[in-house]
Amino acid sequence: MTAGGNGPSGALLEARGITRYFGSVAALQEVDFQVSAGEVVGLVGDNGAGKSTLLKILCGALRPTSGQIFVDGEEAHFQSPRESRDRGIEVVYQDLALATELSVTENIFLGRERRRAGALGALRVLDRPTMAVEAKSTLDSLGIQIGDVSARCGLLSGGERQAVAVARAIRWGSKLLLLDEPTAALAVMEQRKIGGLISEVTKHDVGVILVSHNLRQVHELCDRIVVLLHGRMAANLRKADITVEDIVMWITGVAAEAASG
Amino acid sequence: MSNLQEEQAAAVQPVDVADRATGERREGQLARRRHVIERLQGQGLILILAVVVGIMWSSSPYFMSTDNLLTAASVVSILGIMAVGETLIIIAAEIDISIGSVMAVTSVLIGSLVAKGMNVWVAVAVAMLLAAGVGFVNGILTVWFRINSLVVTLGMYSIVLGIAYVLSNSSTVIIDQQGFSWLGSGKIGSVPVSVFIFLGVWLAGQAVLKLTALGRHIFAVGDNYDAAVRAGIRADGLRIGLFVAMSLSAGLAGVIVTSELSSAAPQVGDPYLLAVVTAVILGGASLAGGRGTLVGTLIAVAILGVLQNGFALLQFSVYTEYIVLGCLLIFAVLTDQLVRRSER
Repeated sequence: MTAGGNGPSGALLEARGITRYFGSVAALQEVDFQVSAGEVVGLVGDNGAGKSTLLKILCGALRPTSGQIFVDGEEAHFQSPRESRDRGIEVVYQDLALATELSVTENIFLGRERRRAGALGALRVLDRPTMAVEAKSTLDSLGIQIGDVSARCGLLSGGERQAVAVARAIRWGSKLLLLDEPTAALAVMEQRKIGGLISEVTKHDVGVILVSHNLRQVHELCDRIVVLLHGRMAANLRKADITVEDIVMWITGVAAEAASG
Repeated sequence: MSNLQEEQAAAVQPVDVADRATGERREGQLARRRHVIERLQGQGLILILAVVVGIMWSSSPYFMSTDNLLTAASVVSILGIMAVGETLIIIAAEIDISIGSVMAVTSVLIGSLVAKGMNVWVAVAVAMLLAAGVGFVNGILTVWFRINSLVVTLGMYSIVLGIAYVLSNSSTVIIDQQGFSWLGSGKIGSVPVSVFIFLGVWLAGQAVLKLTALGRHIFAVGDNYDAAVRAGIRADGLRIGLFVAMSLSAGLAGVIVTSELSSAAPQVGDPYLLAVVTAVILGGASLAGGRGTLVGTLIAVAILGVLQNGFALLQFSVYTEYIVLGCLLIFAVLTDQLVRRSER
């Protein structure tokens, strides 16, 4: 049932034989996984199936017990999320992503502020006007509508914050977005907006991994769906071939039993 | 399986439109309430300042004389210098309560070095180095060992104050050097030098906070530490640096007080801790971090200056001042709590 190839296949990110033990417990066993540019891959599974562990390994927050990760065909050994980010892999967390007391612009440029020569020439001061313009154009290019980029993020809705976090990731040249339960905390309208944002992002040739419990949404947004079951890859499904109900059967293991038995 | 299916079905059921509207209305409400409270906080400060100035003016005509106001400014400058550092550190969601002891040890060290025949400016430099060292230890213990900074600096307060007393033998050393006393009691025009030092420190702090990336990072670290670290900010170094800067400003305050009194004593720092923290919180900085302004701190420092001066003019006892200061601190923390509650 695996649709992925064997060699470096021009995938943006490829993980091979990823195994991770916590003590004697295997959280992941021999998982193969890949994402191409512009592709949206759904990562689903029951609680404890290994989704978060895999996500953490892909972004460098955890190291696999064994297995290899390739970014653009080149092997990577991430020691920290910072290293994976330097290679263009960005995780957008459900929350904790933004400083609520800072403005939209300040958050987008946090840690990468634009500066210009100050009064004494030698001192570099914040270039607020330029940052505001750039922030606005980044949001515009992704079709995100936020009236005032100087508004404090604490005043934005959950969906708007998520959008700002995604915009920030895209702004800084990320090639692969890992979205961890991006819509769990959002109202329905806002969930739709994130859906629109994801398709917008793929037009920029960015790959997306979407971890979500909302299977209808996963089915709607993803090109491919990878199902984890008890730490193993149970299925790698093309959206065109399946229905939401099929995904549920794979998640619960019913489909696997049917296939083997 | 059917269970999960039902769950999924429930998950994708459109939420009632009314629910969403309620949510949006609630968000709007919160934003407005927050806005109102922030304005109250800002304008309230100016109002408090106006009221205390009014009371003092009507009770003592001498209060509004230029001489008296400059004296008040000079007295409050020492508090103000430390309030700048404390504002930055509280915005970064830490606190330093060891400042009084740093003042004391700076003063005593200068005294004992001068008594041994050292040039007073060299002694000042050595004392400032020691102050920076105290800040560095505060920072290392807080950041690397992840100990609450309130506890770290409380411990350091006791240790450093103890060292100051041991070093001084509990006695006062007279420092009689003309150039040195200029710092604390000299004037430029008719304005005391210490006021200029305070304004310089304040402007430097304001420039860092408003104009530099570092300023944004201080806010980010205090507001959302994880987000700041993920954004690539070196939060550990930043916090250690803030502790060092804080101790240096306490050291500077110690130097000025020593110069003003022309003597070194371990008691010099005693009255300041409560006043400094009160000024910062009253000025609108949040103990939860991520929020605060130096303009607010400046106004709050002015309020405390007027109160101190007025109480002296009216010949109230020093202990009345303690009572008022304590009330102000609790009032300030209450306001902060109110603002935070308006968030969610």
